[in-house]
Amino acid sequence: MIPLSWYLIAAAALFCIGLFGVLSRKNAVSILMSVELMLNAVNINLLAFWHYHTQLQGAGQITPQVFVAMVFIVAAAEVAVGLALIISAYRRRETPVVDEMTLLKG
Amino acid sequence: MEFIENHLLTLILFTPTAAALILLFVPGKNVRVFRWGALAASLIPFALTVFAWARFNPVPNPAAPFQFVEQAAWYAAINASYHLGIDGISLPMVLLTTLLTPLALLASFSIKERVKPYMILFLLLETGMLGVFMALDLMLFFVFWEVGLVPMYFLIAQWGGANRNYAALKFVLYTMGGSLGLLLAIQLMGVAVGSFDLVTLAEKWPTIQSLAVPIGVPLETVKTIAFWAFVIAFAIKVPIWPFHTWLPDAHTEAPTAGSMILAGVLLKLGAYGFLRLVLPLFPVEAQRYAWVLAALAVAAIIFGALGAYAQNDFKRLVAYSSINHMGFVVLGVAAAAYTWNATAAQTILDKNIALSGAVLQMFNHGLSAAGMFFLVGVIYERAHTRDLNEMGGLYAILPVYGTVLTFTAMSSLGLPGLNGFVSEFLVVRGVWPIFTLATALSMIGLFFTGAYILKALKLVLHGPLNTRWERHLTDINAREMIVIAPLMVLMLLIGVWPAWLLDVINRAVAFLF
Amino acid sequence: MTSESLIWLIPLPPLLAFFLIVLFTNRNKALSHWLALIAAGLSWLAGMVVFVRAVTAEGLSEHPFAQSIPWLPTGSTSLRIGIQIDPLSAVVLFFVAWTVLMIFIYSTGYHNYGQPAGKHDRKGLPPEGAEVKDKKGKILHVPSIEPMYSRFFALISLFAFAMFLLVVTDNLLTLYVGWEIMGLCSYLLIGFWYAKESARKAMIKAFLTTRVGDVFMLLGLAALYSLTGTLNYQEILGNPAVLVQLAGAMSPVLGLSWAALIGILIFIGTVGKSAQFPLHIWLPDAMEGPTPVSAMIHAATMVSAGVYLVIRFFPLLSAGWEPGGAVTTPMLVMGIIGAFTALFAATIAVAQNDVKRVLAYSTISQLGYMIAALGVGAYAAAAFHLVTHAFFKALLFLGSGSIIHGMEHGVLHTGEHIDPQNMLNMGGLRKKMPVTFWTFLIGGLALSGFPLVTAGFWSKDEILSGAFKGGNMGVFIALALAALLTAFYTARQITLTFLGQPRTKAAEHAHESKWTMTLPLVVLSVFAVGAGWAGIPADFPGLGGLIPNWFEEFVGSMLHFEQPEAVHSLVPLFTSLVVALGGLALGWGVYRRLSERVDPLEKPLGGLYTLLKNKYYVDEFYQAAVIRPANWVANVFTYKFLDQTIIDGVLHAIARFGVWLGSGLRNIIDLPVVNGAGDTAAATTRGMGMFLRSKQSGRIQQYMVIAISLLVLAGLVIYFTVGIS
Repeated sequence: MIPLSWYLIAAAALFCIGLFGVLSRKNAVSILMSVELMLNAVNINLLAFWHYHTQLQGAGQITPQVFVAMVFIVAAAEVAVGLALIISAYRRRETPVVDEMTLLKG
Repeated sequence: MEFIENHLLTLILFTPTAAALILLFVPGKNVRVFRWGALAASLIPFALTVFAWARFNPVPNPAAPFQFVEQAAWYAAINASYHLGIDGISLPMVLLTTLLTPLALLASFSIKERVKPYMILFLLLETGMLGVFMALDLMLFFVFWEVGLVPMYFLIAQWGGANRNYAALKFVLYTMGGSLGLLLAIQLMGVAVGSFDLVTLAEKWPTIQSLAVPIGVPLETVKTIAFWAFVIAFAIKVPIWPFHTWLPDAHTEAPTAGSMILAGVLLKLGAYGFLRLVLPLFPVEAQRYAWVLAALAVAAIIFGALGAYAQNDFKRLVAYSSINHMGFVVLGVAAAAYTWNATAAQTILDKNIALSGAVLQMFNHGLSAAGMFFLVGVIYERAHTRDLNEMGGLYAILPVYGTVLTFTAMSSLGLPGLNGFVSEFLVVRGVWPIFTLATALSMIGLFFTGAYILKALKLVLHGPLNTRWERHLTDINAREMIVIAPLMVLMLLIGVWPAWLLDVINRAVAFLF
Repeated sequence: MTSESLIWLIPLPPLLAFFLIVLFTNRNKALSHWLALIAAGLSWLAGMVVFVRAVTAEGLSEHPFAQSIPWLPTGSTSLRIGIQIDPLSAVVLFFVAWTVLMIFIYSTGYHNYGQPAGKHDRKGLPPEGAEVKDKKGKILHVPSIEPMYSRFFALISLFAFAMFLLVVTDNLLTLYVGWEIMGLCSYLLIGFWYAKESARKAMIKAFLTTRVGDVFMLLGLAALYSLTGTLNYQEILGNPAVLVQLAGAMSPVLGLSWAALIGILIFIGTVGKSAQFPLHIWLPDAMEGPTPVSAMIHAATMVSAGVYLVIRFFPLLSAGWEPGGAVTTPMLVMGIIGAFTALFAATIAVAQNDVKRVLAYSTISQLGYMIAALGVGAYAAAAFHLVTHAFFKALLFLGSGSIIHGMEHGVLHTGEHIDPQNMLNMGGLRKKMPVTFWTFLIGGLALSGFPLVTAGFWSKDEILSGAFKGGNMGVFIALALAALLTAFYTARQITLTFLGQPRTKAAEHAHESKWTMTLPLVVLSVFAVGAGWAGIPADFPGLGGLIPNWFEEFVGSMLHFEQPEAVHSLVPLFTSLVVALGGLALGWGVYRRLSERVDPLEKPLGGLYTLLKNKYYVDEFYQAAVIRPANWVANVFTYKFLDQTIIDGVLHAIARFGVWLGSGLRNIIDLPVVNGAGDTAAATTRGMGMFLRSKQSGRIQQYMVIAISLLVLAGLVIYFTVGIS
């Protein structure tokens, strides 16, 4: 039986890797992938708590699975939209590098 | 029909406004619609006024001095109400206004630019002027007094001559400056008496014992100051010398129809204010300062005539003539003010004659000044100059115009047989026993009236023809004849048979003062 | 029809004609003059009927034909106007109706009715003549019709209306109405040829000069009306109580009684209208008008109206005077002004060469005669002279018009450039224009008072004897001298014009005018002779009493006191005989051999001649002393100084003060305080914005780093401060 904390540590590590990726990668596709990592870290957390909770209470709950499924769907949609955006931006700017996209500069 | 009879004054008063509103929402750029629409709309008040004249009972009823009275709640918080009514003094003025407005509108058919706003402003102006003559509530009076200013300002400033901005600003600032004191005095009186109703005020204010508002100045002083506030407001409008210099500028720069209305009606507002407000509300003060008024009136008569004589601009000359003519009105008013409480039958008769003459002079000046300004406009539209020295000998190419101009000028000059003489004679006759010296001095003005009228005729019509005009001027056209003909008919009618008009005035004056 | 209704109708036909011509028929010359002629004829007919009825009526002066209607409501009463024919207005009506009709007929000929229109004629200028080809194809120059023919008839019709109105009215107000309308017509007719610069000046001069008198008269009217409450003749002049009261009440001016003050004010009106010194200057210039106008307005009717007014108001002017007693102030003034004017104008007439101007000055002089007659109390004589003068002066003017016409004909024919009105250019017209000559001679003799046969003699003689009986020697001598000069310049005029040899080619080719012009001359010459017989004084040696002195009885009945039988004296009779005959002989003697176009008196009189020729420089004096100062007062003082500098200056100063005050407030309060506070707030916000802006790189990752750092920071803060329970 693997204790809950291990899952959490793994999820936190994964989240941090994702966060690091988001903050440091220049390529927009990499950033998108890092975001996916972070989302999955959250999924791991959800499932870990669900498992932990079921063991404690004994009664099964469906809500976390629904959440996780939701996250997948959203992530898939996000990738679809995100990639479309990136390609669109790439077409206009001919670069996938995020640093060069400074339209919001004041 | 019953509705019309019960709301006759309101209908006369607001038909032009309603028409203006309708015109405002009429789309399109077809100037004919606006011209004919405005003219048709202005004929309705005229027809109603004629109807009112027919229904008017010239014998004043002491229980109800005003006729066609309408009263409705308006501004209950300060006891001001929508109170209209007319008597033998205001009826001729209403008739003058409703008569001159359609004529002025017809005269404005030559306006080519921005016809729509022009016509709308003109109709609003009519409401403003009529309101002053009909109002029996001081607040209402003041509102209409100011309402008339705004359209006139725009008419001068938008459609005026070369120096129009200066003239319009001078006109509006001067008149408004005068009405500040008026407003203050009106408010003081309204608060003191507790009502703005003229009938109530005329009863209570002259005999008021103490003011409801503690000002810390003796009542006497307050009344005197209020009196002067009234006098100055009206003196500017009349205008009495030395408050007259706005007039030549405004009249000269205004468009033709604007000058017609300015001279024909707007000046009468001031004189009407004297008759309707100053004399009934401040009899004591008016008597005390009547000599000042008389002196200023004589100054207006003399300096107005001399000023006119000095002009080389045709329109300015006619403008100055207004000062000269209105001087006689003020002279009559001053004489009446001086003798308001006379008991001798002879003096009462003198006062009566002087005042009837003054009111008739208001009407007559309305006719002749409007006619003169119109005729100046006719020549200006053709020759594009008002400089008398550039004209000359025009009678040969404009015979009809020349005849009409001579006729109108003679009315203005006061030729017996035409209207001006009757009123001037009455004023002179009435004032003579009261202010003998002033009357004698005013003869200098009367002499120069002849001089400037003849100067104008001489330089325009007579003498060698300025060949520059030979093939460029056309005679007065049918539309213009329609404008001037009613005025000429009235001039002759009043000159030959003044009783139809004078009877109404005389009875009202005899009853009121 | 009753006399009253008929009297109401007398003035109306000409008025109707005026309106019809102006409104409808002004393009049709024939219709216009027929309208005017028929109107004048109708008025004449009504006037004659009324005159006959008036003459045959009993006690007309006490019970005149009168009727009135209320006109002007004043207080509880009203001013009434109406008509009245009493002996005085009856005789005036008589001569007015005749002269008006004659002058109307004359005008058709004078304005060349029936002639072709000239090619170069222009409106506002006298016609220059037309060219026609005769049968042989030769071009002839003939007179052309007046381009404004209809206008002329419209205006004289209006004038005739006003004159009739003035005569038949029963009150001073309507008289004033007619008086002023005549003034207007006179103005328009003097300036009939308005395009001439001289006409334009003359018309204004006439109107304004008479207006000086009119405004005084208006004051007199006002005063009279205020004091008596009426302007009706009968109620004032026919009522001794009113006159006594007026004569007794003191006015505030110069210690005059009200009667005297009002009398003088009214008299000043007459001075203007009847061209008495010092307001005489307009009449000679009025000769710019067409000659019928000069005849009608400036000789027979309008100027007579002034005298008619003072005759009418004689009871008021003389209120307090008894025949033989001391004269009243207005009478004294009238005597002095009248006598002075009579002499003064006669001297000027001697040195004038324009045929019409001589007559103009003679008119002034004769009017002065009448005024002087009133001044010495010769009431009936003044009225008598008014009537006879109207006839013979109208005759003379029409005659002079005929002369000018004949001369113009000659000028057109010869193409000579001379003034057809200058008498020095004439001479010998007697044979060319016989009718004109004989009628003019009759008129001239009447004017100079040729004994026994002419009307002028009888009326003048009466005035002289009135002055003599009145004991006023100054007036008597002045009038006698004036009569001498009158006879002299009349003889001069006749001699220069008709006698001797023609001095120019034009005069050789002059010829007689048409019958429309000569017929009125003949009719008027009958009156110029016959009118005198109506007033032969009863005490005249030989003839007196043969014919009753009808005129004196008829008109004299207007006065309510008996004329006392004065001492009979032959001095005035001899005087008038001597001056008339002597003057005529002298004039004839001096001028009969003239062949040069120079006045033989020019050299011997020297400077005096120049003085007379320039009319004593009165015009120049007025120009310098009145007109220029008036212009200065109007232009410089009133307009430029008072209005534009002082009053507008004050206004502009107030406006400038307002602007100054406004900008001051703005600089002291608005700008630093109100605007300052607002601006500071804005500037601070902006500064912060600028600072933050630099932190906004646009890099999403940078933002996220900051956001997460802050989040972590916030978490730590919350953790350490609040703690997680």
